[in-house]
Amino acid sequence: METVELKEVLKKQIIEFLNLRDLKPEDIKNAEPLFGEGLGLDSIDSLELIVLLQREYGISIKDPKEGRKVLVDINTMADYIEKNRTK
Amino acid sequence: MLYIHQSYCISPQQTFMNVDWNVLHEAMDNKLKVVEPAYENIPRNVLRRMGKSVRIGVGAAFPIINEIKNIAGIIIGTATAGKEDSFTFLKQVMDYDEGLLTPTNFVQSTSNAIAAQIGMLSANKFYNITHVHKGLAFENAMFDAAMQLKENPQHDYLLGGVDEISDDDFNLNNLAGWYKKEIVSNKDLYESNSSGSLAGEGSAMFLINDKKENAAAKVVAIKTLFTKDEEEIKQQTKELISENKIDVFISGENGDNRLQRFYNACESLLEEDIAIVHFKHLCGEYPTTTAFATFLACDILQKQSIPNIVIKKSTDKTSFGNILIYNNYQGEQHSFILISKA
Amino acid sequence: MSRIFITGIGIITSIGNSTEENRVALMNGVCGISNKTKYPSKYSGVLPFGEIALSNDELKSSLNIHDESVTRATLLSVHAFEEAIKDARLSSKEISDSAFINATTVGGMSETEELYHDISATQNASPFISSYDVSAPTVFMQKHYGIKDFANTINTACSSSANAIMLGARLIKNGFVNKAIVGGVDCLSKMTINGFNALQILSDEVCKPFDADRKGLNLGEGAAFLVLEKEEDCANKKIYAEVKGYGNANDAFHASSISDNGDGPFLAMQTALDVAQLNADEIDFINAHGTATENNDLTESRAMLRLFKNVPRFVSVKANIGHTLGAAGVIGAAYSALSIAYQEVYPALNFKNKIEEPGLVPNLQYEQKSLKHVMANAFGFGGNCTSLILSKV
Repeated sequence: METVELKEVLKKQIIEFLNLRDLKPEDIKNAEPLFGEGLGLDSIDSLELIVLLQREYGISIKDPKEGRKVLVDINTMADYIEKNRTK
Repeated sequence: MLYIHQSYCISPQQTFMNVDWNVLHEAMDNKLKVVEPAYENIPRNVLRRMGKSVRIGVGAAFPIINEIKNIAGIIIGTATAGKEDSFTFLKQVMDYDEGLLTPTNFVQSTSNAIAAQIGMLSANKFYNITHVHKGLAFENAMFDAAMQLKENPQHDYLLGGVDEISDDDFNLNNLAGWYKKEIVSNKDLYESNSSGSLAGEGSAMFLINDKKENAAAKVVAIKTLFTKDEEEIKQQTKELISENKIDVFISGENGDNRLQRFYNACESLLEEDIAIVHFKHLCGEYPTTTAFATFLACDILQKQSIPNIVIKKSTDKTSFGNILIYNNYQGEQHSFILISKA
Repeated sequence: MSRIFITGIGIITSIGNSTEENRVALMNGVCGISNKTKYPSKYSGVLPFGEIALSNDELKSSLNIHDESVTRATLLSVHAFEEAIKDARLSSKEISDSAFINATTVGGMSETEELYHDISATQNASPFISSYDVSAPTVFMQKHYGIKDFANTINTACSSSANAIMLGARLIKNGFVNKAIVGGVDCLSKMTINGFNALQILSDEVCKPFDADRKGLNLGEGAAFLVLEKEEDCANKKIYAEVKGYGNANDAFHASSISDNGDGPFLAMQTALDVAQLNADEIDFINAHGTATENNDLTESRAMLRLFKNVPRFVSVKANIGHTLGAAGVIGAAYSALSIAYQEVYPALNFKNKIEEPGLVPNLQYEQKSLKHVMANAFGFGGNCTSLILSKV
């Protein structure tokens, strides 16, 4: 899958997974922070996103510190998925 | 004394903000589901995680918490809040064989999510409690609220009753025989003469304090009983109607022919000129329907007229001072609430 | 207004099936948490739990209850309730006239396999069909003991049963009842095991409350009930302690964590002091909530530091019995009552290093100690925080 396409799919998955019902994929910018200021996600969302990575891409993140590095924005997530996906 | 100053109700009917008793929304598949507002005031990032009971609870509370600051306590009665999230989480546990799971449904699955969310949205750090005693959850919340007013006079409290229908909980109650086997229209609920009722849901929120001025109504008595004996219900009814001159009797009858004997027992004791009102064709059956009935009673007392849609037996009376609500949940839990003009 | 005394206690936890067994275990620093558990979860044997050794069959036969619809939550409740009413020597008339307040977060939903079946079944409901509700244990006991007047169930997550005690005390103070039997229950359940696991706050070793290297909580199961009576009715009765103060406050911060400065815990403790009309320096000991999660122990420590110039000695029994959720509040209160009655404090287990910033060290040894006022904390999801103060009579 191309990176651009992956990012679009990922945005859709995040919207569905986190029930961000008022958002469309184009509302999420690739470099916009997921937590705090940007999308305003919190610690529970980060746990949800770790499950998303496991279920959709077969990536298992055990160390919360690693999770924090990956779950910065769409770009960092997509990079990590491309390198580590098992499905 | 517990005075009700404001009341808001999200129900299957047009009861929120612009109350209109002239239209009857009909049940679908034996369910009367709430008409949800747009929740424009609730932050989207908070709204996305809320289950239905939390949404309708917060939604009905919002006009109150938005206007009244320094509420001294949030007191909620609910038997089903968080159940949909509980069951969604349970299915995840079983379907993924206790594997890697998402926590949101679990966090939202506790019954106190409504009171907690109202507290959070209004930054209210005071008394916060959730009563969950099934068909008496709202009555026990009201009792707690009355005690709070005695202990802390001159304070405002938020009192509410909230329940939701979820598919899974509907299935459990259906399997236990509490809903009708045949499809019944809510228009025909009281003529159905079969077991079970229609499923319902709703949220009613009240701003209460101990000030008489400008109050919409006052709660004079709350009595709860646990029995299968209709004589005990008769005895309690006699006590209440001998001590207070009742103008309107609000019956919680729900079309379940197994429970009708309790309502008949009460009605048989009423004087001829007392109006009899019923309401479960509007909101369906759920554990905290007495919150809906309390909202209805406030409406009758304020407008001094009874909406046609709820009249079972009319009266020649033109002014209404005392209203007695009697309800029975699943045969054993009974309650009386006496509400009067302030 | 009447003073309110605790005249009966019943407890069942992983360290004992009775109040006396619990006390002896606390004195000796016994830990009931282990990997050798029978509960049928994938995590049995993998994660440690504070499981009660008695099986449902054993409980049923000892309680002489043979109703198929009865869940473990109800059995544990009845077991502890029986001990409490015998301890207070209540007659059956006194029991049926008492207010009865139970508290739980999971209730009968611990029977997960059957519930999973019943939510989608169209026929052949399991015997538990009417027993899943959080109020089901209360309703069963109302029938079992003929309690006809005031009965209630409270769910404020992990502070539930502390609120049951508070409500019972208020009912007596306001003159609605003369006696109240109050408490709570929760048992191990796939729901809570997987829920806390999904939040990544279950420790894979026995928990270390207030330790810098704490790794999270262990789930436990338990039930406890207290008999509360008015002073006037307590002549010639054994009295454990007075229920002197209570405070309920909301943290109003987050659904599953406490605010950085522990506002909710601070306000709950402060309100309890106000109700008890005590100054902070009069508190001799604290049974802390101390779940051993990163968030709880830090914020509870900060709240204690805000309230007390010199933080009194404190302990968290979560290292003995695990976190018993809806029952945690009443078990903490029951242990506090025992501390007062026997003038002794129990040791904290598994503590090595203090958390740097607050720098608090829990009480590490069993000791006979003169105690007048003991505080017990319970905090829950949704920011529901309750603090109780029990005092020597």
